[in-house]
Amino acid sequence: MKSTKTMTNLAEPSLGPTRLAAIGMDQRQRNALHMIFSSRCNKRYVLTEEASSEICILDLDSFGGDQKWKEFRERHPDSPLILVSINSLEISDRHTLFVQKPIPVERLIAAIETHRRNLVTVDTDSEPAIEDIHCNDIKPIPGEVRVRRKAVSTRRAALLMSESQEQVFVGTSPDIDPEDPDHVDKIFYKPEHYLQGLAQQALNQAVRYNQNINIQGPWPEITLDIVSNKIWVSASDRQLRPYSTMPDTTLEVQLNPVKTDWTPPVDATEHSFQSFIWQLALWASRGRIPAGTNIHQPIYLRRWPNFTRLIITPYAMPIAALWAEQPRSLLDTASALNIPQRYVFAFYSAANAVQLAGETRRAVDTLIAPPAIRRSKLRGLFGSLLDRLRGGKKDHE
Amino acid sequence: MNDHKIIFSGPVGVGKTTAIGSISDIEPVITDEKASDMTKTQKPGTTVAMDYGMISLDNRERIHLYGTPGQERFNFMWEILTQGGIGLILLISNNRPDPFSDMHFFLDAFKQFIGSTKVVIGVTQMDLRNKPRLEDYYLQLEDSGLKVPIFEVDARVKRDISLLVEALLYSIDPGLEG
Repeated sequence: MKSTKTMTNLAEPSLGPTRLAAIGMDQRQRNALHMIFSSRCNKRYVLTEEASSEICILDLDSFGGDQKWKEFRERHPDSPLILVSINSLEISDRHTLFVQKPIPVERLIAAIETHRRNLVTVDTDSEPAIEDIHCNDIKPIPGEVRVRRKAVSTRRAALLMSESQEQVFVGTSPDIDPEDPDHVDKIFYKPEHYLQGLAQQALNQAVRYNQNINIQGPWPEITLDIVSNKIWVSASDRQLRPYSTMPDTTLEVQLNPVKTDWTPPVDATEHSFQSFIWQLALWASRGRIPAGTNIHQPIYLRRWPNFTRLIITPYAMPIAALWAEQPRSLLDTASALNIPQRYVFAFYSAANAVQLAGETRRAVDTLIAPPAIRRSKLRGLFGSLLDRLRGGKKDHE
Repeated sequence: MNDHKIIFSGPVGVGKTTAIGSISDIEPVITDEKASDMTKTQKPGTTVAMDYGMISLDNRERIHLYGTPGQERFNFMWEILTQGGIGLILLISNNRPDPFSDMHFFLDAFKQFIGSTKVVIGVTQMDLRNKPRLEDYYLQLEDSGLKVPIFEVDARVKRDISLLVEALLYSIDPGLEG
């Protein structure tokens, strides 16, 4: 495993379920955690990926466990961590708790709750200590304000927010070497293993049978309304995201027809079909591309995405402009625009999910190398205008 | 001081004046007059000469925003207005009787200008009438070979109009660093 020296915080605390990542655990162990969280903790916790988690659980007994621990601390020096191992361990790090295997559920929950309380407490100098807690004992903290322990300046917080947003939608993966199969393997994800795939499947079904569909699973209620062309979700984006970032092939999910006189819940959030699937694809892919994509094949853009109503990832607009002109491969696009590959991958995954982009099948596109980008004489002026439009003083919104 | 201009065009009542006002540094200069012909069914006042707004940039450069009069009888002015322009922002209202016909009319009227620059299309009032869909506008353009950005916009919202301008700039120069 390659070590990264970039230090980051895990995701900011949310008002929804506490997000946990399981590091060094196989699918069976993850399933066991998922089952405990779902059945015994009333979905108070959800499993997610490291970058979008608030607390991580790391299995020291996994292959290279000690190294994983070391690398985790390099990435996240102050983030809450729960170590599990069959061997007993003395921990001197205040951000780390230890639970010995076989894991007693109550001890694990107590450790999670200890970290969770630290996440919401503004300051505490005492060492964290685990007390036995049962899920049923867990009560909301009065006046709970979920902020991190560390106070940061407003400016820094604003910067972090922007960075963390980018991390959520694009990830942090470095560029790959296309000649190295290990590198190439890392850039793929399987949309069908994520909520993205289910939503796409539900949409196909809804359109095909002209029928409203409810996606029933562990997440908040999601209903596709074919009449209004809307998707209604009984949760905020923040609450929905944890369910969208974690692959799970074992979930029992049902796509149920909904009566035509169905009315959306009062508190439901409304999305267009396209914006919803676009967002799910960004959450799931995080700078990766659907498995099976040929990174050397030119990519076409069927038409421009409706950017005014979608999440715009960095460089999405120039990538769209480039592909609208002529198909180009993902790697060539990154190189022509001189940008990290993950931005191209993220945009492609979202555009592909809503069927706006795909691999071209025309022989001419693979035969002829794309031309160099033409440079406008007014590039300097355009750059100033862009800066101005993005940070301008007037706003009618 | 260097001066450049972006042209806003489209039929009567589509929101050109409002769109210019959304991104202009100055209160737009509006030349609305009481409508005396068929346009009075669209809105009580209409632009009979042109609208004007401006964005001042730090490096002593200015972007002038010109809105063409919507009525066809003023189309003699369009060619004069577009001379030296950076590109065209065409606004089409989804709530007019035949938005496709509007789009084709204006694309044709500005054909020469578009040929030497670029165009982006903003469809307004989709909240009042959600059909045709954006997809339908693209289908209308398939034969022309034009692959222009078409976005749903609210002319009152700065972000929407800013994104139209961004798309115009990137269409001209995708390598632009922003």
